[in-house]
Amino acid sequence: MIKVRIPTPLRPLTKGQGEVEAKGANIEEMVDHLEGAHPGIKGRLCDEKGELRRFVNIYVNEEDIRFLKGKDTTLKDGDEVSIVPAIAGGN
Amino acid sequence: MLPLKIPRQILDEMVAHARALDPYECCGLLAGKEGAVSRHYRITNTVAKDAQAVEVFDAANVKQLADLSEAQKAEVAYFMDPKEMLAAFKDMRERELDLTVIYHSHTHSPAYPSMTDIGLALYPDAAYLIISLEHKAAPDLRAYSIQGHQVTRIEFQAI
Ligand SMILES: [Zn+2]
Repeated sequence: MIKVRIPTPLRPLTKGQGEVEAKGANIEEMVDHLEGAHPGIKGRLCDEKGELRRFVNIYVNEEDIRFLKGKDTTLKDGDEVSIVPAIAGGN
Repeated sequence: MLPLKIPRQILDEMVAHARALDPYECCGLLAGKEGAVSRHYRITNTVAKDAQAVEVFDAANVKQLADLSEAQKAEVAYFMDPKEMLAAFKDMRERELDLTVIYHSHTHSPAYPSMTDIGLALYPDAAYLIISLEHKAAPDLRAYSIQGHQVTRIEFQAI
C-alpha cells in the first residue's frame, strides 16, 4: 500500500480524510487507483490529456517527481506520496 | 469561515518580512486551530528562479512573466518554494495544526487581491492575507476568502 497525503482543497473528494491509501506501480497507476476510490480526483490532478497539471506538485518520500520520472516515477509498498498544489499570486 | 485571530507578534513579523524584501514580494503561511493562528512560516518567493512558476502563471493565463527580468518578476508576483511548503505542511501535521492563512505582500498596490491572486487561489479553506506597502509608513493588512472567483473580505482580530 502507498500512503497518499491529500491537501485540504481536495479533501471534499476524500470525505475529509487527509491521508488515504492507494495502489499502483507508478504515479500514473496510483492516480487511476485514487480516481476509482475518490471519483473526481484525477481531473484535479491531470489535464484532459492525462498530463499532470502544472500547479500540482507531487512528492514521493519528499522527492519532487519532476526531478524523478514524472508520472512514470515508480512506487513501492510503504512509499509516502504528498500532493501539494502550488501557492502563487501577484500584485 | 471561522473568526480569524492572529497574535500581534506574528502580525509584526509579517510586516517585518514584507519590509525586508521590499520592493520584492514576500510570502508565507500561518497555521492554527479553528481560526486561531499560532505558527508562522516564512516561505521563500522563488518566482524569479523557478521555471515551474512561469508555467503555472501561463497555464492559469493570469500574468505574463516570461519576458520580465528576475527582479521585475519578484516585484509583481510570488511563487512559494514548493520544498519549503512541503516542510511547513509536515510541521503542521506533527503539531496538529491546520493551514489558516496564506499571505503575501503588494509593494506598490493596495491590499486587495489582484486578478492573478484570484486566478491562482487554489485553497478555498484558507484566508488570503495581503500586506500592502503602498504607503511605506502605514502598512495595510487585509484578509479575504477567495472561493471560486468570489472574494469576500474577512475581518481578523489581533490577539
Ligand atoms: Zn497579490
